[in-house]
Amino acid sequence: MGIWRPIATRAASLFLVLIAVLVLLVLSLGATGYSDRILTAIVGEEMRAVRTALAAQIKDPDELEAAVRTQQEELERSYGLDQPWTLRMPAMVARVLVLDLGEARTVRTTTGSNSVAEIILERLPPTMLLITTSLLITAAIGVAIGTWLSTRVGSRSDRIASWIAAVSNALPGWWSGIVLIFIFGFALRWLPTGGMYSTPPPTDPLARALDMVWHAILPILTLVLVSIGPSVYVVRTMTMSVAQEDHVTLARAKGMSGGSIARRHILRVAAPPIVTGLILGLAASLGGSILVETVFGWQGMGRLYYDAIAGTPDEALIVALTFMFTLLYVIARLILEILYVLLDPRVRTGGGRRGAA
Amino acid sequence: MALLRGVLSSGVGRAGVALLLSLVVLSIGVVLTFPPGFGLTRWGDPAVWADNPKAVPPVWTNVLGGSAAEHRTLSIGAPVDVRQSGPAELRTWELPFAQGTGALPTFLSFTLGRVDYAGRPPSYRLLLVRPDGVEIPLVRDVVRGPRPGETGPYVRYADEPYRVLISSDPAVTEEAADALGAQYGVTIDPASLRGRPEVALFGVPDGAGGYTPLAGDYRFRLAFAFADPADVLAEAKVVLGGSVYGWAGTDTQGRDLMEGLLFGLPIALLIGISAAFVSTAIGTALGLISGFKGGRIDLLIQGAADIINNVPLLPLLIFMVFVLGSQLWLILLVLVAFSWPGLTITIRSMVLGLSTGSEVEAARALGASTGRILRKHIFPHTAPFVVTQMIFFVPGAILAEAGLSFLGLGDPSLPTWGQILEDGFRTGAVFLGYWWWVLGPGLALVITSVTFMLLAIALEPVVNPRLRGGDRG
Repeated sequence: MGIWRPIATRAASLFLVLIAVLVLLVLSLGATGYSDRILTAIVGEEMRAVRTALAAQIKDPDELEAAVRTQQEELERSYGLDQPWTLRMPAMVARVLVLDLGEARTVRTTTGSNSVAEIILERLPPTMLLITTSLLITAAIGVAIGTWLSTRVGSRSDRIASWIAAVSNALPGWWSGIVLIFIFGFALRWLPTGGMYSTPPPTDPLARALDMVWHAILPILTLVLVSIGPSVYVVRTMTMSVAQEDHVTLARAKGMSGGSIARRHILRVAAPPIVTGLILGLAASLGGSILVETVFGWQGMGRLYYDAIAGTPDEALIVALTFMFTLLYVIARLILEILYVLLDPRVRTGGGRRGAA
Repeated sequence: MALLRGVLSSGVGRAGVALLLSLVVLSIGVVLTFPPGFGLTRWGDPAVWADNPKAVPPVWTNVLGGSAAEHRTLSIGAPVDVRQSGPAELRTWELPFAQGTGALPTFLSFTLGRVDYAGRPPSYRLLLVRPDGVEIPLVRDVVRGPRPGETGPYVRYADEPYRVLISSDPAVTEEAADALGAQYGVTIDPASLRGRPEVALFGVPDGAGGYTPLAGDYRFRLAFAFADPADVLAEAKVVLGGSVYGWAGTDTQGRDLMEGLLFGLPIALLIGISAAFVSTAIGTALGLISGFKGGRIDLLIQGAADIINNVPLLPLLIFMVFVLGSQLWLILLVLVAFSWPGLTITIRSMVLGLSTGSEVEAARALGASTGRILRKHIFPHTAPFVVTQMIFFVPGAILAEAGLSFLGLGDPSLPTWGQILEDGFRTGAVFLGYWWWVLGPGLALVITSVTFMLLAIALEPVVNPRLRGGDRG
């Protein structure tokens, strides 16, 4: 019981976030006329099929035109195009929710499908791979270096670390990616300059997987590079402030070893805020992945976003992607919220501490 | 003031303040010297950059052991010779320059500025006079004549200078082949010089189809025949194209990247500081209200803050800018709309602590109004934190705009660093090795952001005593 209440509260509020974003998307689409354009495109797409079907049955051109027109009007009515966009909003929210947004303009899946939902589902795993790997690496390094630094506050290495954190925070990840491509891809020729596979991709599954890892090194390095500074800094600051609390002094006075103090009395207490730091890091990597994938030509959702904006914008894809990024973010936050509840007993009993903010 | 003293007491803070001062001075200089509408009338106008070498590295790469040709522009001064021949007047200008045995100019171009004439259009020729005495005609033409129905006096090339790219003129290769062939007694096939006449213009044929560079003092001679002594040539120049240019190199359109970098500075500061200021102001105000008023308003503000605080910023930013349009003020508006909540939540909790304190209680007992209590007894306690947060937010806003611009959503009328990077990336600067195109704007972004990060880091211990060297505040 104790665990479920806070989780349910957070889940409800995150669900509210999702709905709010959806409404925001649909509102701005409607008010700017984009939703009309998307729906008209869907109708046009369907009418092409209808016309060919009708043409096979009806020979007389006038009669055909009339039949096509009634069909078109019927379709437009079913999509709500005869009503103002304000009335269509609920239906549009539902469409976005299930990614029923018709077909993409030029992008196709590897199997040739142009359905927005299928394209996005195909691009999801590469993005997840990048984000989760870099997040785990960042967290591991952050905890290791951060706790080490917290025992040396004010030392030279601590000062250097805070400088590095500042620079890392000020570094646009995508630009660092370009610089890394320059150094390792272009000048030294050690690593591939972009893409997910070599051309042609290896056929053997193992070789293929290794090839992808090979191509993922630079993008992951980039994502880690820009988030490592803040991560180390958060862990350091959090552990440091816990290390100054009375129970740690007591433990020290009892003669406990440094290692077990760090594990049982410092990290255990500092864990929840560190998890919060991770959540914030995740937000940065989700956004950052759009730019980093663009730079590296990594065929995930981020690169898809860029392709949808560049050239002739593909509204349906843009809407779907914005929603998907929000959904991903909300899901990831929920997972971390659950972690938070498991880590911090105070949340379970409903006392003291506020939720992660 | 106490804040400033605190910042200046640390090395990080001093570095930050020094950087900030130089950035501000530099951007004031840019605002005062750059033309208004720089983005559209200069940066976005290919004609302005026509005479610049395309995609060449900065000049200082020469110091690192390069031997690139420097970029030279020779403009006419006073005529060296004015002669009457009948009613006409013959004026001659000379443009001397030295050419070493090193790198040849990458191209030659001749540009004619404003010409005024009363009746008959003037005719002109441009010659290259070499150290060995050979003279090679480069341009021979007549200023554009009157249009049907137009009456004198005529003004030509005033708005749009008349430009001839000498290097790609087939007539020049023939003239060069003739002149050099006669002087050195060899036959030269003009076709062998097509598109690259400079080797012959600045060299001596070795008889085997090759050329040895001829170093020495060269001159361009421009001779104008005016039908009326009152006719005027206001401006003319010859450009010897370089293979390096300026302090930051050029892009594939020949634009001087240094100008783009400089112009980007005040814009970046404007974006960062105004977005930071407005969102901090909103965040603080809402936090104060929310914490002090409580009740339904509190619930509403905190609900909104919680929602906005939990959306992934960049995807929504991209979406909103895409839908609303990419004018700079819209980008700023969207940025502000999504970035106030974090501060609101923190300020609220600070206010909750303060409003039960004895200071506020005393003020209330003395009959102070809500506004007065907020202004005089609550806000001052949060102010140092607010200032730190504001500074902390500046790089975030600058980098967010740069990211949007990099995705092609930047304001097209104002070139920013992000847009220069986007240009470079789309052109394939990375794979063509045009490093100067990518490093410059990126470093500019990093330096500007680091400046504010340093200030924020220096402020943190001042604001949060707990971080002050280990003692518990």
